[in-house]
Amino acid sequence: MSLKEHHPDVVDDVGVTEDGLDGDAIADLLGDNVIGREQHINAPGFVIRPDAVEDVLRTLKQEAGFDHLSCLTGQQYSDRYESIYHMRKYDDPTHEVSIVVPSPRDDPHNQSAASVYDTAIWQEREAYDLVGIDYDDHPDLRRILLPDTWQGHPLTDDFNQDQPQVVSLRKHANPLEQDTNHPDDPDTMLVNIGPHHPATHGVLHLKTVLDGEQVASVEPDIGYLHRCEEQMCQNGTYRHQIMPYPDRWDYISAGMLNEWAYARAAEDLADIEVPEYAQVIRTMAAEQSRIAAHMLALATFALDVYGDFTAIFQYAMRDREETIKLLEDLSGQRIMFNYFRLGGVAWDLPEPREEYFETCREFLAGLPDKLDEYHDLLTSNEIFQMRTVDTGILPPERAKEYGATGPVARGSGIDYDLRRDDPYGYYDELDWNVVTEEGCDNFSRVLVRMREVEESARIIEQCVDLLEEWPEDEREIQANVPRTLRPDPDTEIYRAVEAAKGELGIYIRSDGTDKPARFKIRSPCFCNLQTLEEMAEGEYIPDLIAALGSLDIVLGEVDR
Amino acid sequence: MQSAPLPETMANLLGLDPEGPIVIFVMAIIASAVIASALLGLVAVSGIWGKRKITAAFTDRIAVNRVGPFGLLIIVADAVRLLSKELIIPDGVDRPAWDLGPLIMVFSSIAGFAVIPMGAGVQIADPEVGLVYVFAMASTASVGLVMAGYASNNKYSFLGGLRAVAQNLAYEIPLVLTGASVVIFAGSLQMSEIVAAQQGSLLGPIPQWYAFVNPFAFGLFMVANLAEVGRNPFDVPEAPTEIVAGWQTEYSSVYFVLAYLSEFLHIFLGGAIIATIFLGGPAGPGPAILGIVWFLVKIMAVYLFTQWARSAVPRVRIDQMIEIGWKGMLVLSFVNLVLTAVIVGVMV
Repeated sequence: MSLKEHHPDVVDDVGVTEDGLDGDAIADLLGDNVIGREQHINAPGFVIRPDAVEDVLRTLKQEAGFDHLSCLTGQQYSDRYESIYHMRKYDDPTHEVSIVVPSPRDDPHNQSAASVYDTAIWQEREAYDLVGIDYDDHPDLRRILLPDTWQGHPLTDDFNQDQPQVVSLRKHANPLEQDTNHPDDPDTMLVNIGPHHPATHGVLHLKTVLDGEQVASVEPDIGYLHRCEEQMCQNGTYRHQIMPYPDRWDYISAGMLNEWAYARAAEDLADIEVPEYAQVIRTMAAEQSRIAAHMLALATFALDVYGDFTAIFQYAMRDREETIKLLEDLSGQRIMFNYFRLGGVAWDLPEPREEYFETCREFLAGLPDKLDEYHDLLTSNEIFQMRTVDTGILPPERAKEYGATGPVARGSGIDYDLRRDDPYGYYDELDWNVVTEEGCDNFSRVLVRMREVEESARIIEQCVDLLEEWPEDEREIQANVPRTLRPDPDTEIYRAVEAAKGELGIYIRSDGTDKPARFKIRSPCFCNLQTLEEMAEGEYIPDLIAALGSLDIVLGEVDR
Repeated sequence: MQSAPLPETMANLLGLDPEGPIVIFVMAIIASAVIASALLGLVAVSGIWGKRKITAAFTDRIAVNRVGPFGLLIIVADAVRLLSKELIIPDGVDRPAWDLGPLIMVFSSIAGFAVIPMGAGVQIADPEVGLVYVFAMASTASVGLVMAGYASNNKYSFLGGLRAVAQNLAYEIPLVLTGASVVIFAGSLQMSEIVAAQQGSLLGPIPQWYAFVNPFAFGLFMVANLAEVGRNPFDVPEAPTEIVAGWQTEYSSVYFVLAYLSEFLHIFLGGAIIATIFLGGPAGPGPAILGIVWFLVKIMAVYLFTQWARSAVPRVRIDQMIEIGWKGMLVLSFVNLVLTAVIVGVMV
């Protein structure tokens, strides 16, 4: 398989034809395990037997090249539960299949995929937590976002929202009393890093078992920032009420990118054509957002390795401010943009346009010098290299197992970028490169982000040129979209964009009303965070912190 | 150049007999109080106000500028703020040790100043083993760190305490050995003698300071001193992003002030040692009375260096730090010591 993965041209993966994926060939491959066929907008769907999940997924992974379990959606119908495994390929993410696993309404359970993909461990825990599907043979089926004491599963229609939740608070209990030792090894010590800790980038709790200064095991405990984003989106109407929410997932100024994830999914679902002019504006805004997000990632990583609000942190914040100002001019907001609309953007570029282009160009012209300064201060600093090179190793095979995407995957040499591989917006018309680094370590991940800033700058530059030349009478920023959007009933779609942290996907199922019946967010940070154990175990505490910093997680997006 | 220690000078000025044990005892206490107060004032200005201004300058910010001229009254505001905070004593702390930790740290750094000749006759005592005494005092702080780390009943404090010991062991030896190479040059452990040995010119306008005589030793000492005072790249005992605040995690209010104070005093003591044994002590142009000014300038230069390192240099990992100490610095400091001995032996 490894040969095939590296040479996509010579792969004779099952079902790959010139026109795309041939569902029949895949159905043949899966044989008796398929009990029905569906057609999702993005991919063919195969309904399989609940006890054949492992078998089917392993076959698809090993024989058809679907090495990326992108997302797992659990949902409840009036007569059954359903788990949908959205699978695609790292080599060509346009090759997608949806594996639909139905399970009975009275006792929802089906086989677990955890033995095939490591990323399924967390994703199935989430489906169990929120929807209540039991996964047989799952190694560690516990709640992941909600507290262990939570009663019921909130994304089911029989969930009683008014019932009191029992959270046992033992007064004056010393939480450290019981855990001084790891049960297997009396020489170890459990340290709770977080939820209040300077380096957890939000409210993250790492249950870390230390052997001296070394990390024996680390288990991220998430959910402190769970804000029911999926359910809130299910309660909003497609047209206007959902768009403000994506800004709040990855709230580190990556709002434009998040909005695009929803816009792309909903537009494809409702078959809305976006005017080209609006696509160029979107592309430009998204890349400005990406620069701002990567600058902050750089700043906080420097903070983790340097230890104080040092020069790099402040410099990066200063330079991020410039992109934020550009975005503020464009959208009227600094962080929570709410600038995208289904079918276009909220408004045209700010007047006078020349002034805006001028500011953009000034920023772009100054950027190379600034990046040089970062390279001087950071990447060419020998102590920095001592700290980051060959620490937090994430080999590409393991990264794929965990469904890692974005700079984390590209820092491990995985050439995967949805902007190029599954084009949307105006990206395929522009001249830019996907950045990868082969080091698989903390240093590579930082370097990838810094080089991506350069590529984003190239994209913005080309967009500015295009926008400046755009004929005045063709500046159409918004397609004609009905006031109330009601996509066809029983249509399903999973669409993803390349957000700042990786593949930000959204699954929407429509039931014919003006609100989604199921709205599932595939968060890149959620999947990337799962790789922390892989990177940190056996390393020293400082490397655990550096690895966490290099993942660049935002808890708002992890917990949603 | 040699002048009597400060208590004797004061006794003479007051017309008292400096040989009388009670007189000299009282005078020593007064002199110590004066110097300690001056030091605290120095810390107040440079620790509360100066640190902010310096770091801000390095990191492209403005820092305090609203309270009083140049924001100087922030010192008063901060003092009130820090002292009026609630002193939180966590459950299960080992009381006498937990209380003593910060006190020992402050005591050790202030006591070190007793033998430092600051110019203009400001030196409380001038024992023949002055350099040994000051090193001994400076490293007593480690005891305080361990007490604070162990007694806090907090895992971060515990880790910080362990790191502090490991770090001090790894760097104290190179520090002392490099200091010993100066002793070989000067032929004395007495602080005033070491200062006196640096008078005169080495080459044209360059004074005969040991920093110029042996720049290698000076560099080693500066690096070891960064570790000794726990500043980047060697701030592992506190390492805010790793172990929260290390040994000082559980200290609040007055105890935090003491911990903070001891850090700055320690930096100044390090600066004072460097100024004395490498930078000619109070030597400088102008009349001898200006010596104390030059001395303060030198201490501030070392302080500035530590703040610069803090703003610009990443922190090394604990194992890397131990490695640098035991495998690099220790070897280099032995090499330096032997070379110095050979050179001095051949020359003299």
